[in-house]
Amino acid sequence: MIRRLLPAVAALALLAGCSDEADPARPVGDATPGTLRVLAGSELADLQPILDEAARATGISVKFSFTGTIEGAEKVASGTAEQGFDAVWFSSNRYLELVPEAQKRLGTPTKVMSSPVVLGLPAAKVKELGWDTKRVGWAEIAEAAGARRFTYGMTDPSASNSGFSALVGVAAALSGSGSALDAARIDAVAPQLKQFFSAQTLSAGSSGWLSEAYQRRARDPGATVDGLINYESVLLSSPEPLTLVYPSDGVVTADYPLTLLTSASSEAREAHQKLSDHLRSADVQRRIMETTHRRPAVPQVPLDGKFAVKDLVELPFPGSQSAVDGLITTYFDQLRRPSRTLYVLDTSGSMQGDRIDGLRQALVGLTGADSSLAGKFSRFHGREQVTLLPFNSSARPPLKYEVPQDDPQPVLDQIRATATSLDAAGGTAIYSSLRGGYDVLRQQIDADPDRFTSIVLMTDGENTGSEDVTDFQLFHQSLPPNLKGIPIFPVLFGESATAEMDQVAKMSGGKVFDARSRSLSAAFKEIRGYQ
Amino acid sequence: MTKDLVLDKVFRQRWTVKRALGIGLAVVLLVGVVTAIVLEQGEQAQLQTVRGVIGSEKLAFFADQRVKDVFARHGVEVEVDPAGSRQIVTATDLTPYDFAFPSSAPAAEKIQRDRKAARTYAPFSSPMVIATFDPVVDLLTKAGVVRSGPGYPTFDVQAYLELAAKGTRWDQLPGNTAYPARKNLLVTTTDPRDSNSAAMYLAITSFVANGGVVSSPDAEGKVLPAVSKLFLDQGYTQSSTEGPFEDYLSAGMGKTPLVLAYEAQFADRVVRGDSSVRPDMKLLYPAPTVLSKHTLVPLREAGDRVGQLLQSDAELGRLAATFGFRTADPKHFNDIVREKNLPVPQTIVDVVEPPAHETLERMLEAIAKQY
Repeated sequence: MIRRLLPAVAALALLAGCSDEADPARPVGDATPGTLRVLAGSELADLQPILDEAARATGISVKFSFTGTIEGAEKVASGTAEQGFDAVWFSSNRYLELVPEAQKRLGTPTKVMSSPVVLGLPAAKVKELGWDTKRVGWAEIAEAAGARRFTYGMTDPSASNSGFSALVGVAAALSGSGSALDAARIDAVAPQLKQFFSAQTLSAGSSGWLSEAYQRRARDPGATVDGLINYESVLLSSPEPLTLVYPSDGVVTADYPLTLLTSASSEAREAHQKLSDHLRSADVQRRIMETTHRRPAVPQVPLDGKFAVKDLVELPFPGSQSAVDGLITTYFDQLRRPSRTLYVLDTSGSMQGDRIDGLRQALVGLTGADSSLAGKFSRFHGREQVTLLPFNSSARPPLKYEVPQDDPQPVLDQIRATATSLDAAGGTAIYSSLRGGYDVLRQQIDADPDRFTSIVLMTDGENTGSEDVTDFQLFHQSLPPNLKGIPIFPVLFGESATAEMDQVAKMSGGKVFDARSRSLSAAFKEIRGYQ
Repeated sequence: MTKDLVLDKVFRQRWTVKRALGIGLAVVLLVGVVTAIVLEQGEQAQLQTVRGVIGSEKLAFFADQRVKDVFARHGVEVEVDPAGSRQIVTATDLTPYDFAFPSSAPAAEKIQRDRKAARTYAPFSSPMVIATFDPVVDLLTKAGVVRSGPGYPTFDVQAYLELAAKGTRWDQLPGNTAYPARKNLLVTTTDPRDSNSAAMYLAITSFVANGGVVSSPDAEGKVLPAVSKLFLDQGYTQSSTEGPFEDYLSAGMGKTPLVLAYEAQFADRVVRGDSSVRPDMKLLYPAPTVLSKHTLVPLREAGDRVGQLLQSDAELGRLAATFGFRTADPKHFNDIVREKNLPVPQTIVDVVEPPAHETLERMLEAIAKQY
């Protein structure tokens, strides 16, 4: 009798815990029996139904807090992860294990499932490229990309694991030596890598948003992106059917190790063991494969038919943090299409005090002052065009910079000086200033069209200008495709008009970032993944 | 299904208690868990708790209920903390432990010297092997790396070192259509900075590169370039031996065509009969190989008792063999080989000694510095 009642009670408890939270990286509270507090990669969110079931079966429920791979590594290395978590769960432990301070804090890992990072293209495109009848290697893929025979979207390697795996994979494969990458080998293949990344026309800070943006672009004839580089599991669940291209010379695979921290209590240790056993049982493995399209981690469960290529060659992964960090830095400063970034910044009277100070700090952080791991990669990159457009009652003159590839520091210092001298006074003419930004971009795009272009709009309150959001919408609709397709990333701050900011993000294919419950620096850093 | 399993586990735990306390009490036990906990504590009070720090390869053995039962019959309850064998020597505070049980003889010798232990016990061992797949066996036979050997297939370490020195890729092997991967022909190991199995691999490869056990700084200097490459060219490696072996079982040839493992890992899977070892999976014995000698160093009297039991108790010997370990009394292992039809030779002829602990440590340090 009692046993039959239990699942119902558990289900109720789970429902109660299911409320939406604004900040995905929120801490999850103190240790409680029967709960495993897990710092995780956001792509694990789709495992919730499996974990709900696991809670019913084992009495162990998982409380997630989401973060990026590199930021997560930093939290583990600094010991802050130990303060609020029992375990970490990212798509891979490889980067974590390369950071000595993080590695020594990792306990028992349990690999739960796997998914390789591959290229997905529409069937017609695959046929056009002649890849429907034979398997191709990364070198052929890079060559076709260099000739712009297809374009693709990929996540930011410093913010998200799928982009990171793709970068490592293509670099390892192209280096041709077959062994693990070091700095000299990366330099040697830089030209080919540059070809490959010249076809990347969409970037994102997370795998989820990348897929959404791709769906939107697929519907918008103006600025299409042919395919995606992403996890096999994400590509298999795409609403736009994609044909998966598995490079014959190998892939980098995520293996999702649920990893106990060495600091975990014996209760948490036991919970981890129980949950691991459950997740690796044949039935659950099968359900994970069926519902999330990831490959099972135990040999007893055979792969089903949707995995077109079963036996995949795994490419070697660099053996040191310096090699990986070097590869990411090279990607930003030399390999990828350079960015063009316009910051439309509210410097009205309401910004006086802490707020303008926060804004100054956020910008200064992007000039190399932020020495954290994640901060290092989010600075303004070599070749990037950065324009600051402060406004109050009207737009002030735009301040334009271009960061040199080889010696970026002097220009970064100039940006820092400008940021530090920003002052707050006057009114808030948001939309006329934003409109003015397009004049700057039009000029820059005419001179040099082949860049990732985006706008950050930061304002702390209501518009006081004569043009309102409806005027801006009309203006935006009239723009030519190359300007209309530029995403706007509004930052919610102070008393921002949330609905209007949503509207602006939506019309431009951008995304709203919230800086009301965290620092502007954190929001600006997160946006870097999308620029 | 899973719930049944959990219930089954609970039931089994209760069953043990029940047996110890008699049928009359069992009726009470079935009534409430609280009662069970109280009684369990009562039972534990009669057992002497012995604490040990052990190489993680033996964790499953010590966690096994049948093993616990045998110890309990001798009045002992063994509590173990798993740790890397190198870590046990260099990093772990041994004060709280009654015994240390690393997975290699050099580590045990070092502990014995440091702690002035009177004796050690080596109740079981396992040779280092290379697990692979039929198509790779064929390829490497043609390449002269795999030989039919003395009744079992061997992996010629000298021939392998020559291929590795040239940075040979799989797709450069002549006539290779079975596994034309564009990556270096390398045995997948664990991280030499963390793991005992990688240290054992270094023992094997340094022996061959030097033409004998490395025992002088000169010899260390001579072999380091060649043996470092075997690790560094792999790039990232995992820190626990379970990692690459699990990849071998689940991700197959594409990811891990050749993996260094303990024979016991493979044998354990076959004994379990969980169908994780497929017919095309094959074991190769490096020629020469080394034994991972699981050696118990008693740190206190109570630890010595555990060593004695492991060495002499037939039931524990039989159980160790079911986990794939070669036992001090070969009968136990041979019985399991026959009973489960394990694809392993009764005796391995080409076995060499690992270098002394200090030499091994210095070479590992030197490799670590190059990452």
